[in-house]
Amino acid sequence: MRESAVRGAGLVITLAYASLIGWLYARQPATMAEVTGGLSAAVGAYRIDQQAFEDGVRYFRNDQFVEARAAFGRADPARRDARTQFYVAYSWYREGWGRFYSDDTLYRHGLEAVERAIALAPGGRLIVEDPAQEIGTADELKAELESGLRRDAADFNPRRIFRDRK
Amino acid sequence: MTAVREAIYLPALCLTVTLLGGLRPGAPVVLPSPSPFSLVLAVLLLGVLIQSGGLAPRRLLDTSRSALQNLNGFVLLATVFVAGAQVFSLLTPGFGLPRLVFSVYFLVLLLNTWAAGPDRVRALRSLTVTFGAAFVLKFVVLNALSDATGGRLARVLQMLFEGVTLGAFTQEVHHPASGYLAFVTVVLFLIALALLPVRDSHYRTQREVILRE
Repeated sequence: MRESAVRGAGLVITLAYASLIGWLYARQPATMAEVTGGLSAAVGAYRIDQQAFEDGVRYFRNDQFVEARAAFGRADPARRDARTQFYVAYSWYREGWGRFYSDDTLYRHGLEAVERAIALAPGGRLIVEDPAQEIGTADELKAELESGLRRDAADFNPRRIFRDRK
Repeated sequence: MTAVREAIYLPALCLTVTLLGGLRPGAPVVLPSPSPFSLVLAVLLLGVLIQSGGLAPRRLLDTSRSALQNLNGFVLLATVFVAGAQVFSLLTPGFGLPRLVFSVYFLVLLLNTWAAGPDRVRALRSLTVTFGAAFVLKFVVLNALSDATGGRLARVLQMLFEGVTLGAFTQEVHHPASGYLAFVTVVLFLIALALLPVRDSHYRTQREVILRE
């Protein structure tokens, strides 16, 4: 009886440990915050720091993008919240946007963040209602970033310089 | 072998080796999965262990055992296999000529050990030397030769190797913690191999019986 209990417990422990390792390999968390955040998200216990998020949105609206991303990083250290990641991507987009050309490096960071946001959103659909910003969905933001990274004939259209930042 | 060792200690030890063996410290931390070739090497490793008597599969999977016991045995074999693959992956350089040389080194040494047919103690000694040498070559010698911030001698050697190998020699420099982590991983794996259920006289192979007679 005792041996069966030991064997059963060993099986459960081993499978749980193996599942944790499998999860780590599948998710590839880069920091300890991502590990703990990912595990709490798996059991539905992950919450962002609302105060830091609001600070981030305020900085974002004031065009203080570096400060905004620092605040969003504090709000969502595990990068598990779709809305925060959307704003991170949006801040990369606005910082990288230029009337004559866009900064590819910043746009690439933005694309990574928006893809993260889409992956985290239920069904990949993410809508962020805010009258102060023109882009309201992750799909629009992704398309905007991708078009900024693409090289085509439209890049040489002189009317480009009159377009507005979204 | 006790049930605790078979069902808890050894699988946990092997899974720890799998976790630590895959961990590449740095910014960001990366967890690469074992390469397909390291899976082949892990199969050969199991073959060497079974042939030498260092691992007795019949003491883990047998019709005389209960379903739960067989399940524990299967899980243990699977964890040993994955841990072995991860250790080979850990000790093989990431790319270029050193990756090829190390892969051939492991393959030849395992085949040679298999062909020699050593007993358990000799097989474990051989594996210790194989893993130890690979550890020193990758984490001490190759790391020093790939470090661009090293001394003048290191830079001269780098230039020489780069010239001879047409740039296929230099590897990425490891995070300072990588070597320590790899050392712990290899030692844990060797401990796990030493604790595996060995073939006893009851399960002696036909070949051994003939040789003894």
